[in-house]
Formats: sequence, structure tokens, C-alpha cells
Amino acid sequence: MMLARRQSALGERRRQGRFRFWLRVLALMLVSLRAAHAFEVVDDRGVSVSFVQPPQRVVSLLPSLTETVCELGQCERLVGVDRYSDFPAAVQKLPKVGGGLDPNIEAIVALRPDVVLMAVSSRADERLRALGIKVVTLEPKTHADVQRVLLKVGQVLGVSDAARVWRVIDAGVSAAAQSVPASVRATRVYFEVNQGPYGASESSFIGETLTRLGVKNILSAKLGPFPKINPEFVVRANPDLIMVGERSASGLTQRPGWGSVRAVREQRLCVFASAQADALVRPGPRMAEGARLMAQCLINKAPRTAATGGKP
Amino acid sequence: MTLRSLPLLIWSLLLGSLALLVLGVCVGSTGFENLIGPLLQPQADPAATVMAHQIVFDIRLPRTLGAWAAGALLGLAGAVAQGLFRNPLADPYLLGSASGASLGVALVLAVLGGGAGMLGDSMMNGGAAVGVFSGSVLVRLGLTGAAFVGAVLAVLLTLALSRGVQHTLRLLLAGVVVGVVLGAATQMVLLFSPDSLQAMQAFMLGSTVFVGWTACLLMVGVWAVCVLAGCLLGRVLDGLSLGEATAHSLGLPLGSLRIALVAVLALATGTAVAQTGLIAFVGLAAPHLVRSVIKTTHGHLMLLASLMGGALLMAADTLARWLIAPQELPVGVLTAVLGGGYLLWLMRRNSRSFTGGQA
Amino acid sequence: MTSAAPFIAIEASNIRASIGKTEILHGISLSLPQGRWTSIVGPNGAGKSTLLKVIAGLLPHSGTVKLLGQDLHSLPNRTRARQLAWLGQNESSGDDLTVWDVALLGRLPHQAWLAGPSPQDLAAAETALKATQAWDWRHRSLGQLSGGERQRVLLARALAVQAQVLLMDEPLANLDPPHQADWLGVVRCLLETGVTVVSVLHEISMALHADEMVIMASGRITHQGACANPETHRALEAVFDHRLTIHPLAKQWVALPN
Repeated sequence: MMLARRQSALGERRRQGRFRFWLRVLALMLVSLRAAHAFEVVDDRGVSVSFVQPPQRVVSLLPSLTETVCELGQCERLVGVDRYSDFPAAVQKLPKVGGGLDPNIEAIVALRPDVVLMAVSSRADERLRALGIKVVTLEPKTHADVQRVLLKVGQVLGVSDAARVWRVIDAGVSAAAQSVPASVRATRVYFEVNQGPYGASESSFIGETLTRLGVKNILSAKLGPFPKINPEFVVRANPDLIMVGERSASGLTQRPGWGSVRAVREQRLCVFASAQADALVRPGPRMAEGARLMAQCLINKAPRTAATGGKP
Repeated sequence: MTLRSLPLLIWSLLLGSLALLVLGVCVGSTGFENLIGPLLQPQADPAATVMAHQIVFDIRLPRTLGAWAAGALLGLAGAVAQGLFRNPLADPYLLGSASGASLGVALVLAVLGGGAGMLGDSMMNGGAAVGVFSGSVLVRLGLTGAAFVGAVLAVLLTLALSRGVQHTLRLLLAGVVVGVVLGAATQMVLLFSPDSLQAMQAFMLGSTVFVGWTACLLMVGVWAVCVLAGCLLGRVLDGLSLGEATAHSLGLPLGSLRIALVAVLALATGTAVAQTGLIAFVGLAAPHLVRSVIKTTHGHLMLLASLMGGALLMAADTLARWLIAPQELPVGVLTAVLGGGYLLWLMRRNSRSFTGGQA
Repeated sequence: MTSAAPFIAIEASNIRASIGKTEILHGISLSLPQGRWTSIVGPNGAGKSTLLKVIAGLLPHSGTVKLLGQDLHSLPNRTRARQLAWLGQNESSGDDLTVWDVALLGRLPHQAWLAGPSPQDLAAAETALKATQAWDWRHRSLGQLSGGERQRVLLARALAVQAQVLLMDEPLANLDPPHQADWLGVVRCLLETGVTVVSVLHEISMALHADEMVIMASGRITHQGACANPETHRALEAVFDHRLTIHPLAKQWVALPN
């Protein structure tokens, strides 16, 4: 009987020991799990991507995202970009891995990236995720987006002063707005994006910049961001100033009926070179430069006393 | 339908086109808007009259007339194509002429510059900038010439590949091949000259957006020449519709006359494509619409198909400008809806009336 | 019946013709008398249609063909078209043309380029349509007609040419017996006005109504002679491997299968 009690007491101690052992294992696992997920980022599609440590090898498939990475001072982390990324000059030497919508999956995989930054509208993210590559989809379209995406990319790359970078950009835009003289504020502007003619309305990125500079856009927001407009509308609206990219500028002044438009008559036409046009059009960190270009155009070409214009 | 309907049909098409012209002039960036009033009463409001005058005569009138002329050219080309190949599915773009014209325009734009390169002074001074929608006569002639040459060369290539027009299947296949190959060549040209890309995109969609008086009058002139040639050559197509051997036995010099018809096809298609881009379906639908109303010889058919195509494109263009003013729909969508819808209705009506008909 | 005409309408010498790489006609020579009706008969694949096309100047060949004494290929197209009318078989017909327009097409060799049809053209087309009893439907389109009706319209087209020589390839296709009899009447009228008629027919009984007969087999002529001649009948039976016999019946000759 003494032996049985001693045996059961031994069993009891063993059970307790085993219990404590597994408890320690569990605690160790929990600790290691927390260490494995150092931080998480939720991208524009709502997918949450987790990182052990900030990625060192980055592939970017959208020019505005490329510029964002470089603006945050992390240009050297880029190992590959899409064929349309051309700013700053440093990225032009990087390997090109196809376009944003048609990336070269093999080339991307060969670069062994830690993360791929791409647009929401591309379908390639599923393919890349299936191959085990982390993908963060971000697509800035508005002024507010630029700030949001800048901060998010900063979060992904572990850059602590992303907010300061944004404040610099924002201040640049405000400075550009203040440099525009008050007498020019009532100028009515038409910004043509493409021969079609497609114009940039108030609800587009370009339109937001123009609004911030204090001028009026002949295309209202309810037409959508880039409406294909009847050229007669422009003649009727009689803008005081026309802004257009170099690629679509040819023949603009000879269009039927456009000779009577105030901007054409008084030669108030700002033609932006292709490289400059990118800064205006891309919703990215160069928006301050874009705002400055537009402000310069307004200072140079806008009428000091705007006319009453035509029917809007 | 008896032959007596022929003058009736011509008159109704002409009057219909006139009505559409008036309607087209009244439709603009604010939707329907009657500007005829201010024009007819200049004293009432001089400012409005000046504005109305400018809008109607500089913008809407050349554009609407241009739409008619382009539609007439495409309708004529469609009738020629369907007669030449004895195939009701033929359209003016069949022999690769559309791809050839596009390639011609792309090459001119790439070589002379889609925006960066300009002839003469800067555009600020109205120099002859080479753009797809330029108004300068020389540039328009140059682009039209390039489109025409491109169309002719593509057609000749197709004929060479199919070794003559005898075998319809081989001809159609050769046309498809040439169309695809030249289309790819156009893409290559644009790849190496991205400045022309935007201009070409606008061109490929097809629209009458910037048709001014130069383009309009050029198209009307070419149409007059083509319709005259077409009516003279119409009897060749009539003879051919009875078979090659019969046509030969009737003493028709088939070889040279077929070449003349191909030239008419290329000229009409090239001219229309150079001014308004690629507008689909008009060339295919117009001859069918005419034939559903009247059975007649090819000479008359070509004239009628012209008038029908002109009316069709004018109607489509007016609607394209009207429906979501001040925005514009692509005119090709509306030609398909209008022409296709009417053809569908005709098919249903005819199939019902022929259920008890003779074999 | 006219007396034996001394003139030769069509003279062919040593004709060789190929379709693709296969030679169909192996050195054919024949003379077709003017103002007479000659029938060309033979088994399938003998080359009858090919020979007719060669004589009409529609196929390339070696050897010479003379039309009314002149070399066929040295004649300008329109002159030849005015002198020689051809009616083919199985050709695509313009379904969208009206019967009247089709008949008027026969006048193309006579019309100047820029002119419309002259009163003679209109009269000729009308006569031709009436001769084939197609005048009543002159406003209908070809696509609305039955096979036999269409054939009559195409025949009218060939008649409208008012040529001196008329070549017909299977003109009785789709025609019912009454209209075959009508066709016979039309041919007889033409012969009376001095037109030379050459036909390729596979209805042997009809072919035996002609004046002369040319019998072909395998690209060669096996016999040429008068239809009334018993030698011709025997040659005919021979070329069909004696699977038919020619019998006299009510002043005509009839071919019946054995």
C-alpha cells in the first residue's frame, strides 16, 4: 500500500512536470510568433502584408511609387522598376521589368525582391503572391492620396520621417499657390491632356492643383476626371489660358473655330515639355514641382485682369 | 420594288441628308440648340449672332458636312468592295486598306514629328505643325497622300499574295494576313516613336472632331471623282455578277477595269481614313441597306450607297455629339448601333415574308 | 431547211488546252459550218465544256481558232463579243439584278462606254425576253426566281447580244419539257436568220435535233457528221459503251438506255 501511494505521487509529479514542460513550449512559441510578425501594412486593396523587417530589395511597377521611394531617400533599395519610371535619373540605370499592367514576372522573380510595389489596377499581384513574393498595391490618384501613399510607403520601408517629407512637399505647393498674384486668381484655364480632345476637369489630380493655385477650370467636376469634350465647348467657354503637353500641342491653334478663343488670340498658351508634363500629371511627390510649373505659367501668361469670359 | 422607286429613293436620301444637316448644325456642346434663329435675325442680338455665326460656320457645318462626305466615301467603297469580290460581307477595309492607311499616317507622323517636330515656326505663330488634326492644306494633302499610298500598297500586296481576284477565299485570307501584319508594323512604328502615340490613338478611334473646311472640301472633291468613276465602271461589276466567263464573253476588259475599281476603292478608303480615322461598319452596312429597299445595277448602287453612307454617318455623328453633351461618344459605336439595328430589323422582317416564298 | 452552207463559222486547228497541270484537250481540230446547228456530245469528262470555252476564247490554249475567217485572239474584245455570244453553265448569277437589267447586259458589247442603252438595245432586250417567255417578270430580281425561270432569263441575255454565233453550254439545265420545246423553237428561229448555233447537251434526244453532231471522248473527237446519218448514231452508241440505242420515233431520233 505504501508502494502504491508512492507510485501515484510519482505519477502526479510527472504529470505536473509534463504540464509545465508544454506550458513552457507554448510560451516560447508565442514569443517567437510575435517576433516573426514585426509589423503589418494594409494596402489599397485591403490586403494586409506582414514584414519581419523592413524590405531591402524593392521593385516598383508604378512611376509615382518609384518617385515616392526615392523622395523618402531610399532610392538605393530599388532593384528594378517598370519601363515608364524615369525619374530621378538614378532609376534609369535600373533593370526594367515590363510595364505596370504587363510586368515581366520572370524578371521580377529573378531580382529576388523583398517587396513589389504596384498599382491597384494591375492583375499581376496574384501571380506574384503565388510565387511567394510580397506585394503591396498602392495607387495615388488625388492630392490626399499622395500624402497617404507617402506615409504608407514610409511605413513599409521603415522610414521614420515620412511625415516631414510630406510637409516639405505640401509647403512647396502652398508656396507655389502664394506666388500666384491675386489679380490672376480669376483666370479661367483649360488643361488639355490628349488630342481627342480630352481635358482635365476639377476632379482630376491636375484639376486639384489648379484649384489650389486659385484659378478656375472650365471643366467642372461633374464631367468626370478626364472627359472627352466637344471642342465647341472650349470655344464657348472661351478660356483665358490653355495648358497643354508638348505631345498634344500641334495644330491646337488651327482647330476650326479656335481662332476666336481668348487664349489663342492673345497667345496665352503654356506648352509643357514631355519631361515637365510628367511632373504635372503623376500623382506623386513631384506635385510641388508641378504646382510651381503651373504657377510660373500663370505668372507669365495669365491676363492680369481676367475678362468675363464666355458661357461656362 | 420597281425601277420607279429609284428616283424616289435618291430624293428621299437627299432630303433626309439635308434634314440631318440642319439637325447636325443645331446640335453642339450644349445639346440641342437652335442657332438658325440668331443667324436669320442678325439685328436682334448682334453678339449672339457673331457667336452663332462662328460656331455654325467654323465648327458645326464643316464637321457635319465632313461626316457626310466620309460616310459617302465609305459607302461607295463598300459597294465597290462587295461588287468586286461578289461577297456580301466585304467592306472597304477588307484588303488591308485600313491597316495600310494607318501605317502610312503613322510613318508620316513618326518621321515628321507628332508634336515635337514641327514644320515652320512654332505653333504659337500658326506654323504648319504636322498633327493628325492639322488644318494646313499641305499637311492634309500630305497625310491624305500617305494614307492613300498606304492603302494602295496594302491592296496591291494582298492581290499579289492571292495572285489575282479569282479565288475569293484566297483573296479574303490574304487580306486578313496583310491587315494583321501591317497593323503589327504600325504598332512597331509607334513603339519607337512614342510622341506619335497619342495622336495615333485619337486617329484610330475614328471621329469627326477636328474636321475643318480643308478636310471637308477635300473629301467632297475626292467623292465626286470616285462616284463618277464608280458609276462608269458599274457595268463591269454587273457583268462580273453573272460570272467571270460571261463577263469576258461580253467583251469587258476585266484586267484593266478591275485595277481601276481597286484604285477607286483605295482612293475612297484612304481619303476617308486620313481625315476621320477608322470608322467601322458604314462601308459594310450602307450597300446592304440600299439593297434591302431596291434591286438595281451597280452603277446606281454605288451612288445610292454613297448617299446612304453619308446619311448614316451624319446621323451617328450628330447623336454622338448630342447624347452626353458636352462629352462625346465614339462615333463608331453609334454607326454600329444604327446600321446594325436597322439591318437586324430588316432581316427579321424579310425572314417572315419569305417563309412561304419560292425556292 | 437551208441548203448546205459553204462557209465555216468556226475553225479550230490542233487545240490543246489544260486546266491546272492536266491536259484536257489533246489536239482537237474541227470546222463548224455557218448557219447550222452543231451539237457536241460525249460522256462526262470528255472535255465538251472546255472545248466550248476555248472556241469562245475564254480559256488559254495552243493551236488556232478562227471566227468567221479571222483569228479569234486578234479581234478586239468588243468586236468578238458582238459576233460571238456565250451562255455558260453553273455560273454565279447576280441575285440582286432585275430580270430586265440582266437581259440588257447582253447589249454591253454594243453600248458605248459613256452612253446609256439605245432604242435598239431596249428593243433587243425586249425581244429576247419575250422569246423566252420571261417578259412578264422583267421587274423581279433574279434571286426570286426558280432554277428554270433563271435559266430562261440567262438565255434571254445571250439572245439579246444578237450575235452571229451562239455557243451554249447545257442550256436546258432546270428546264421542264414544255420549256425545252420552247427552246427548240427559239433555236430553229435563230437558224432561219442565219445564226450559227453550237450547243453542248447531255440530253441526247434533244441533241439529235441538230444538223451536225460532234462526238467527243477523253479529249478527242471520235466522230463528226450529220445527225440524220446512221453512222453518227452508231458512233454515238459506241462512245457510250452501247448502253444506249438510237431509235426512230415520230420523225425524230430518240436515244433510250438499254
